[in-house]
Amino acid sequence: MSPKQGEEHPKERQYGSEQVLDKQNLAAPLKSAVDKFQLLPEFLKVRGLVKQHLDSFNYFVNTGIKKIVRANDRIVSGIDPSIYLRFKDVRIGQPSVTMDGVSEKLNPHMCRLSDMTYAAPILVNIEYIQGSHTEKTIMEKNDVVIGRMPIMLRSCCCVLYGKDEAELSRLGECPLDPGGYFVIKGTEKVILIQEQLSKNRIIIDTDKKGNINASVTSSTETVKSKTVIQMEKEKMYLLLNQFMKKIPIMIVMKAMGMESDQEVVQMVGRDPRFSSLLLPSIEECASLDIYTQEKALEYLEGKVKKSTFSAPSSDKEGRALAILRDVFLANVPVHNNNFRPKCLYVAVMLRRMMEAMLNKDAMDDKDYVGNKRLELSGQLVSLLFEDLFKTMISEVKKTVDIILSKPSRSSRFDLSQFIVRDSITVGLERTLSTGNFDVKRFKMHRKGMTQVLARLSFIGTLGHMTRISPQFEKSRKVSGPRALQPSQWGMLCPCDTPEGEACGLVKNLALMTHVTTDEEEGPLISLCYCLGVEDLELLSGEELHTPTSFLVIFNGLILGKHRRPQRFADALRKLRRAGKIGEFVSVFVNEKQRCVYIASDGGRVCRPLVIADKGVSRIKQHHMKELVDGVRTFNDFLRDGLIEYLDVNEENNALIALYEGEATLDTTHIEIEPFTILGVCAGLIPYPHHNQSPRNTYQCAMGKQAMGNIAYNELCRMDTLLYLLVYPQRPLLTTRTIELVGYDKLGAGQNATVAVMSYSGYDIEDAIVMNKSSLDRGFGRCIVMKKYSAINQKYENNTSDRILRPDRTGPAAERVQILDDDGIAAPGEIIRPNDIYINKESPIETRGTMVSSTGQSDSKYRPTRQTYKGPEGETCVVDRVALCSDKNNSLCIKFLIRHTRRPEVGDKFSSRHGQKGVCGTIIQQEDFPFSERGICPDLIMNPHGFPSRMTVGKMIELLGGKAGVSCGRFHYGSAFGEPSGHADKVETISETLVRHGFSYSGKDLIYSGISGCPLQAYIFMGPIYYQKLKHMVLDKMHARGSGPRVMLTRQPTEGRARNGGLRVGEMERDCLIAYGASMLIFERLMISSDPFEVQVCRVCGLLGYYNHKLKAGICSTCKNGDNISTMKLPYACKLLIQADMGSLLALSLDTGTGLACCTVN
Amino acid sequence: MEGVSYQRFPRVKIRELKDDYAKFELRETDASMSNALRRVMIAEVPTIAIDLVEIEVNSSVLNDEFIAHRLGLIPLTSEKAMSMRFSRDCDACDGDGQCEYCSVEFHLRAKCMGDQTLDVTSKDLISSDHNVVPVDLADSYAYDSSDQQRGIIIVKLRRGQELRLRAIARKGIGKDHAKWSPAATVTFMYEPEIHINEDLMETLTLAERQAWVESSPTKVFDLDEATGQLKGCLLLQEVVVVDHEAYTYDEEVIKKAEAMGKPGLVEIYGKEDSFIFTVESTGAIKASQMVLNAIEVLKQKLDAVRLSEDTVEADDQFGELGAHMRGG
Repeated sequence: MSPKQGEEHPKERQYGSEQVLDKQNLAAPLKSAVDKFQLLPEFLKVRGLVKQHLDSFNYFVNTGIKKIVRANDRIVSGIDPSIYLRFKDVRIGQPSVTMDGVSEKLNPHMCRLSDMTYAAPILVNIEYIQGSHTEKTIMEKNDVVIGRMPIMLRSCCCVLYGKDEAELSRLGECPLDPGGYFVIKGTEKVILIQEQLSKNRIIIDTDKKGNINASVTSSTETVKSKTVIQMEKEKMYLLLNQFMKKIPIMIVMKAMGMESDQEVVQMVGRDPRFSSLLLPSIEECASLDIYTQEKALEYLEGKVKKSTFSAPSSDKEGRALAILRDVFLANVPVHNNNFRPKCLYVAVMLRRMMEAMLNKDAMDDKDYVGNKRLELSGQLVSLLFEDLFKTMISEVKKTVDIILSKPSRSSRFDLSQFIVRDSITVGLERTLSTGNFDVKRFKMHRKGMTQVLARLSFIGTLGHMTRISPQFEKSRKVSGPRALQPSQWGMLCPCDTPEGEACGLVKNLALMTHVTTDEEEGPLISLCYCLGVEDLELLSGEELHTPTSFLVIFNGLILGKHRRPQRFADALRKLRRAGKIGEFVSVFVNEKQRCVYIASDGGRVCRPLVIADKGVSRIKQHHMKELVDGVRTFNDFLRDGLIEYLDVNEENNALIALYEGEATLDTTHIEIEPFTILGVCAGLIPYPHHNQSPRNTYQCAMGKQAMGNIAYNELCRMDTLLYLLVYPQRPLLTTRTIELVGYDKLGAGQNATVAVMSYSGYDIEDAIVMNKSSLDRGFGRCIVMKKYSAINQKYENNTSDRILRPDRTGPAAERVQILDDDGIAAPGEIIRPNDIYINKESPIETRGTMVSSTGQSDSKYRPTRQTYKGPEGETCVVDRVALCSDKNNSLCIKFLIRHTRRPEVGDKFSSRHGQKGVCGTIIQQEDFPFSERGICPDLIMNPHGFPSRMTVGKMIELLGGKAGVSCGRFHYGSAFGEPSGHADKVETISETLVRHGFSYSGKDLIYSGISGCPLQAYIFMGPIYYQKLKHMVLDKMHARGSGPRVMLTRQPTEGRARNGGLRVGEMERDCLIAYGASMLIFERLMISSDPFEVQVCRVCGLLGYYNHKLKAGICSTCKNGDNISTMKLPYACKLLIQADMGSLLALSLDTGTGLACCTVN
Repeated sequence: MEGVSYQRFPRVKIRELKDDYAKFELRETDASMSNALRRVMIAEVPTIAIDLVEIEVNSSVLNDEFIAHRLGLIPLTSEKAMSMRFSRDCDACDGDGQCEYCSVEFHLRAKCMGDQTLDVTSKDLISSDHNVVPVDLADSYAYDSSDQQRGIIIVKLRRGQELRLRAIARKGIGKDHAKWSPAATVTFMYEPEIHINEDLMETLTLAERQAWVESSPTKVFDLDEATGQLKGCLLLQEVVVVDHEAYTYDEEVIKKAEAMGKPGLVEIYGKEDSFIFTVESTGAIKASQMVLNAIEVLKQKLDAVRLSEDTVEADDQFGELGAHMRGG
């Protein structure tokens, strides 16, 4: 850390002290670096780590929902059109719940604890017609509740919005919790960020056969369609779902009114190469004898898919035209049947295809991040709401029509009564809690969109919030989408991706990434025209592609052309920097395609960068000083045009220097901090740039499993499973990211003194040797909390469960010790396996006639007490008992059972460098090696872990940690931090070590604890931050002698939870066969599994039975017991024989030969 | 070989002695002896520590086991530990804390009434035996009384929270649990023996000598001002060993000498029979007492070996070694 770096420069001092702005000085390039790091905490302060979720939800709540309601604001009766209801306004109220008619304010923690949904009422103002036929009055009602909307925590509707730390803690909320998730029925649900190909853009690609495609996925408020133009055998065709076959593109052009081939050629461009490529298509059209629009439409009419249930050709003439108008390239609007924009759009598509044909570089890359859009919770919820709202409207309409069609009605007709419905509330809640988005209206059927927020560790939670789930199914064996894209730089974390099937598909956002929301298009379009864009309508095809001009494309829509594209782009950018247009509007001049792309749509990823003029950063020392003094905020930097957001496409127009010193005259931007290319999880790793890259990826996965603190309110929560560390520590070797995200406050690990040496032989294969005294003193000690719940059920016949005072004298007295007199386990009691934690009884009769709830005799109840099943011989404690009422208003009792565990052999530990290992053995401290200073390591790690893993970062962490404890300063190891001073250099660390009497190499002379002799080698020893992972032996170890069996097959059960047997599977069996261990196979597969004695008739070979009265076997087929043999079979085999008999297959056993063999009769 | 004695008479020289710190030299013995002493100090010198906690009320933020664990690790003054009984060997009681021979009872009652956070510390532990109390290091270091130095913090309470418990301390050894270990640090080093080859040193210039001296990370060598002698026109100061114990066996000077092309400039090796011990105590017993107790325990252990029947049998196997063990 060296904020002084800049100050050392004389020029800097001038700005700081004298405040005299010498013009010459200003013009001279400023070479010294300004420490821009301070921008980051400021950025995260205004933005938070999950701003993308919050922004998106806020946009929906403030703008999106209003748009939806405005677009569908009328319910008009089909029977009497004068009866209507109009939604005038919509807004989201305060999160609250209505209990027995009383509205009660909600806060998130309340909902978590009592299994409620954190939702706010959707309030509408309506205007409607009351009464019918003769007496109609227009009525108005305000704040009518039409449903309840789940509220994202920390969004603008949430009670936590804008609250400070003290207020948050009063509400039971952790101030470090990022929000951005929902609380649905008490569980925290995240809507994952969905990655998609961008909508309304031309994508040139090849299909499997190598044909060149130009595809557009159109998406408007009303229609979603996909249009593909394909090059096949040198001819171009249109593929559209509504047409049965592919249509020659020239016919489509003619159908849209481009009757002249010359005009088409002009529109595509008069380059002779293009014309020659277009010729086969023109010829094909001519060969089909189609020259006019009428003919073309006629041809298309014949190709239209006959939909089975559509109206029988009412306006058959218009079908093809309607498809061309509404479905074909739906994103290009057609006003008054003016197809010209669409024709031009097709021409541009054709041109791009032909360019791609001539030059493979012009092909679009589907994996390019600029061609992707991220769909966030706001968009998804808005889709869902739109569907539900429309469904509700149609339902209301239906009921209104039914009522109106009735001849006589008793009460006065009131339309407003019908809109109060549950459908929206239930629909939203169900979809968010199951994660299955089934929106038929938009042809969306996706599963697993929401997930329960991972609360295993604080970092796991953050990592979960920034995760991006892919569009592809995971099974595809393609490498393209999985590969690291250069365009991911700074936007998506290059390290954080899971291993295995989802590798490279599931991504994570980088630290500074922002995801845009939609922006109003209208003003921007007119601004473009003001800035000199020539309208498309006024241009002929010929003019369109004049070599001096560029096309201007706005959100995928061709606006027109501009003669001076660079100037146009500069003007727009200037406006953006001045804050006249939105900061997330991107302007991208594509020289290759000769286009200027302007984008204001939502879902683009972008990041802030410092603007540089001729390589000189606009941020000066005095700006940073103002920031530190609190006079200036991050938004001021944006407003003053010092910083701007660039999206992936616009980055192509920028030359970005990593550091100020590296900037040249052409540099347009400077990175704020290089370590922000990493995400939250990878940001924890010290010196990641010294590690082999997969190690960082492994750590990203493991950091999420590390135990520690999960939130400040961790002890007030009732999670199903909670792992906590007893003494969590803050890492000695920190990074800037750690400080920014708050990992130093909610750590998940401990600084262990590690000696890298071989010891005892129990350290092979990455196992570690631990010091018993360290464990005694609390190293690696953890608390596991598990929730058990019981519901006091109510039944149909007005009976309900009851909880009884325990009988302390009866036979079960031993097992009810921990119960209080109310029949519920008392907090603080030690609970042992088979202890009863709730003494509950249920009525035997739960159906039928109503019974008075009180006067039931004891005999009408059977005990349904719940017993605790935990590990034998461990002391678990009842931590807390919570009572609440659930949805059906019945009493729900939750027990939190706590277990404190110290590390044991087999528990899994890991450093922050993807180096996991289990505890191999635990050794007494006196046997541990020690140094002459008296330092004794906490754990010993085998040096063989290093050569193949190449985790040099871990070694530097050890050095830095050692220097840190010696000199009393936390050392830093931020990624790529050495040049900017956010990571300590090894040299300086070594100097510190030497200053404190250690070797510069971090190695010490160590004495053997067993013999007292010095060891032959110097030992690399120092502190490394170790994480305890959630995988513990106690939860996994399993063995069984005899035990439960499955009822059907009488074979041992499967799985640890059912105390199951260990299966000798097919492969194990094969081994035994190959070895020839026949008796062992016989024992494992039959005697130890499901032996069964059967009576077999030697005559018919079928199974008989044993008659206990006669004490003899009898064949039920032969009706005698004369020829019965007894033999042993696996019970499964007996089952098979009988099942076969059931399907009229007599499987008879031939006992004659001595060898049992079967014959099928 | 009968009658050959390997008996040595180790000498101890005390260098520094404080309540919780001792530094002494142990000479004329070998590593087995010194290491045995070290191991016994860590693992087998008995102390008293809280072993059983009965919690009556606990409304603090820390859970019962957590507090029990913290209580266990508080060092208690254990001067009388040597004379106490292990509760497992105690005939007078069943280890319930009522017995004066094997256990000491503690009580803790704390409730926060005010708005300020209340620190519950080891000073709040009320002992039934004035000889066994939580260690208070504050006295020996003369802390400022206004500094609120109130012992070891057990838990912090906010308004309305309460902690009430009964704890029983018992005698134990570090082998069973680290809380019974009286040693904070016990370590020794071999005394280094440094020989400078004067003839080779003569060949070095002043700058070279300076560089060589500075190559050691710790200050072991220095240029002696007094013995400076005139050679040519240069004042050549002699290299002397100022503090041979500062040497950390880092071999930097040897490497430096080799790099300068003068291998054998200095020879350093550890003396096989002299050790410098550093002993720090947790405060449970005085550091000096810890060493004495360790010797006592070691003697008891050797007695146990000598008196056991196995040893007599082993005599045949080990011959003179057996005799040696019996002090012959």
